[in-house]
Amino acid sequence: MKKVGEVVLLWLLILFIQNAAGEGYSPPGKPTNISCRSPEKETFTCWWKPGSDGGLPTTYALYYRKEGSQRVFECPDYKTAGKNSCFFSKNVTFVWVNYNITVVATNSRGRAFSDPVDIDVVYIVKPNPPEEVVVNVTEDKDWPFLQVSWKPPKMADTRSGWITLFYEVRLKLENKNKWEEVSAGQRKTLQIYSLRSGGTYEVQVRCKPDHGFWSEWSPSSRVKVPEYFPQERSMWILIVVFAAFILVIFIWMVYMNFHSVKRYLLPPVPGPKIKGIDKQLLKSGKSEDIFSSLVVSDFPPTTSNYEDFLVQYLEVYVPEERELIMDEGKDLQDDSFKTENSTCDNDSGRGSCDSHTLLTDKGGGDKEDGQQSDQEGSQAEADTKSQEEALEEELLACSHENLQSSNISNEKEKVKSWPSLFSPLPQYSLSPVNRPNPPKTGQQHCLSDSLFTPNSMPSYFTQPGPSTRKGFRSNYWECSFDHKQSHPLHPQSAAHEHLQAQNDLNTAHVDYMGAPLDVHVLNVRPSEYVEVQRVSVEDGVLLHPISPSQEDSRTLSHQTEDYSRVRMVNNDNGLLLLQRDAIEEEKSMCPYQEDVVSRASITPTLQNSVTGINTALPILDEMAASGYIDTATMFGLPTH
Amino acid sequence: QYLEATRTELAVPVNDLLDRASQRSDKMHSLSTLLTQEMDSHFPPYGRMQMPRPADCHTSALQTPNDKEQALQVSESDLMSLARSLLQAWVDPLAVLSTSAITLPHPSKSSISSKIQELQEHSKSLGDGLDILSGKMGPSAQAISFLPYTGGTDLGQDRVTILNKFNFLLSCLRRDSHKIDSFLKVLRCRAAKLQPELC
Repeated sequence: MKKVGEVVLLWLLILFIQNAAGEGYSPPGKPTNISCRSPEKETFTCWWKPGSDGGLPTTYALYYRKEGSQRVFECPDYKTAGKNSCFFSKNVTFVWVNYNITVVATNSRGRAFSDPVDIDVVYIVKPNPPEEVVVNVTEDKDWPFLQVSWKPPKMADTRSGWITLFYEVRLKLENKNKWEEVSAGQRKTLQIYSLRSGGTYEVQVRCKPDHGFWSEWSPSSRVKVPEYFPQERSMWILIVVFAAFILVIFIWMVYMNFHSVKRYLLPPVPGPKIKGIDKQLLKSGKSEDIFSSLVVSDFPPTTSNYEDFLVQYLEVYVPEERELIMDEGKDLQDDSFKTENSTCDNDSGRGSCDSHTLLTDKGGGDKEDGQQSDQEGSQAEADTKSQEEALEEELLACSHENLQSSNISNEKEKVKSWPSLFSPLPQYSLSPVNRPNPPKTGQQHCLSDSLFTPNSMPSYFTQPGPSTRKGFRSNYWECSFDHKQSHPLHPQSAAHEHLQAQNDLNTAHVDYMGAPLDVHVLNVRPSEYVEVQRVSVEDGVLLHPISPSQEDSRTLSHQTEDYSRVRMVNNDNGLLLLQRDAIEEEKSMCPYQEDVVSRASITPTLQNSVTGINTALPILDEMAASGYIDTATMFGLPTH
Repeated sequence: QYLEATRTELAVPVNDLLDRASQRSDKMHSLSTLLTQEMDSHFPPYGRMQMPRPADCHTSALQTPNDKEQALQVSESDLMSLARSLLQAWVDPLAVLSTSAITLPHPSKSSISSKIQELQEHSKSLGDGLDILSGKMGPSAQAISFLPYTGGTDLGQDRVTILNKFNFLLSCLRRDSHKIDSFLKVLRCRAAKLQPELC
């Protein structure tokens, strides 16, 4: 009995021991991650990752086959490359040959085969890092830079061209984390610029074959950059010089365009101008004279002497070139007359003269146009125009050397020579021709209308009484021309002279008459306004130039105010002057801005002028013996 | 030896020509490598042959050095001849690959097709350059081994066969392009006596 129990016990013990011994043991796990690398395309090494060993000592073996052969070889060297590696020496390494490699793990419990791997040595090249890396800081104190040089790894045969390597350098400041990488191609040296003054750099180099993997980075080489300054300073100097240069150019440009810039920034503000204020007078500083001209002392007119209103102002065009001829008194007109007309014949009125100041079309068309235009535009002059016309005609007569000064009949004829101008047409305005040239003059003209009220004129204009008018043998111009007949003018000569002195223009030119617009355009004559100073006995009218300023002949419409138009020419002697109010509408045509002012000032005189005209009519009849400017005896409206 | 004789006379032009030729062969090999990678990216591994058998390449008959010592012992003329032979051997297969790539049952076939066309262009220009170079090196350099491609224009009928064949051809091309590149680079360094810094 005991023996059986012992046997059973022993049996149980053996079983137990056997069980205990087999517990935890298992075949090894499969080796994985086989990777092979060749540093120089002459040898290569494979590494694997072992699996579990199953608790038992496990051995690993690497077997390989070469393409085209079934023969299996085992790794010749497990040690050189370390644990779990296999090193293939030159003898067993062939290029352009596929290796089929398998790793087998073996322990007492079993084996494990890894997955096979195919490799070709030429595709798995990973060189060693470059060697002998040398970093130098150049001795140049102003512009230091790093000079890096290295050598290829020893085993890589680049000399024969078996291996072609490309290099790369990276550097960073010692205390920073960011690397800067620079490619060096196949060269073995490199220069690095733009260094931080006083910094310490770490430099590393690595290489890569033409078809392969990058090597590891070489160990860091440290270098310290010395301190340097001039580099930055010179840059600042350059910047300052450049900025100064640009500033100089900018200032110069502003200087060259100063006026346009100023005009752009500070546009000129049109200054106010008041009609009737003579600038020259202002400058002379005689305030009394200035303001006296503004004052219409006789408004409303206290006297019933309507003769005062008979003073009318005619606008006389004077050619530009005669402006300068501002002689005193009569000579002025003489010159103006002479210079102006060219081929006028003896008995020619204005119309027959070939002067350029006359209507270009001596036919009625122009005149008609002129008339029409006058109606539209600035025909304010018409009021005084009738007077002025007469004056002008007189002037023309004077201008002609063979003009007979006292030939009022001629004047009459002259007037007749312009039938369209004077006779039938109801409205006849001379204004278009007499466009005052510059706005200034126009304004002055306009203003002068208001200014030169009959009452206010006395200082400048003589207001001929009826008797004196009649005694006025010839108009002013005639007298001046012939140097005759100046006697009647003497009383007023002073005034005339005074007036003339104020005139810039030669009043003589009377071409303005009825000139159509286009003629007017042609004639850039300043128009002068003349006041009928006196009415000569024989229907002559003494005209005084009133306005000193010249007006641009082109500006047709400005003198609308206060001009009396020639309404019609009586058979005998007269020009019917339009009432001023008829011309009022044209006042608005006054082109000049200042006209507005003047208009306002003129309006009061309208009424006066109206009356004046009415009264003037009979006188006209008397005076217009020759139909010429005798009508200039018109009175009335002080236009300019 | 022949090359040395000519090297002194025409050192600069030959060197420059070799440099340019090796650059072009380098480009060719890079393209073929990209092609194989592109093929493998979508190619199901199970359908692929376990191991492409480069020994079955149509150019395997050509004896080429297997290690560095052997390679460095080959003369320049032979190296040139080997390179030109290999290059010539791939003219026809590249055409077959080009036509097959258009209808290749592969998602990246357009990219593959364009790369193959580029390969053909490089191959053509490299061949012209090597013709000029070999003319400077003598008759042995101009000898070309005839390596006909016998695979036919048709790669197969079914998708797996076509893809396998395509893969196989690309692997052969990859290797042969690497050989050409290596030979020319060895030649380049041999002729670069004036520019030793490159080698």
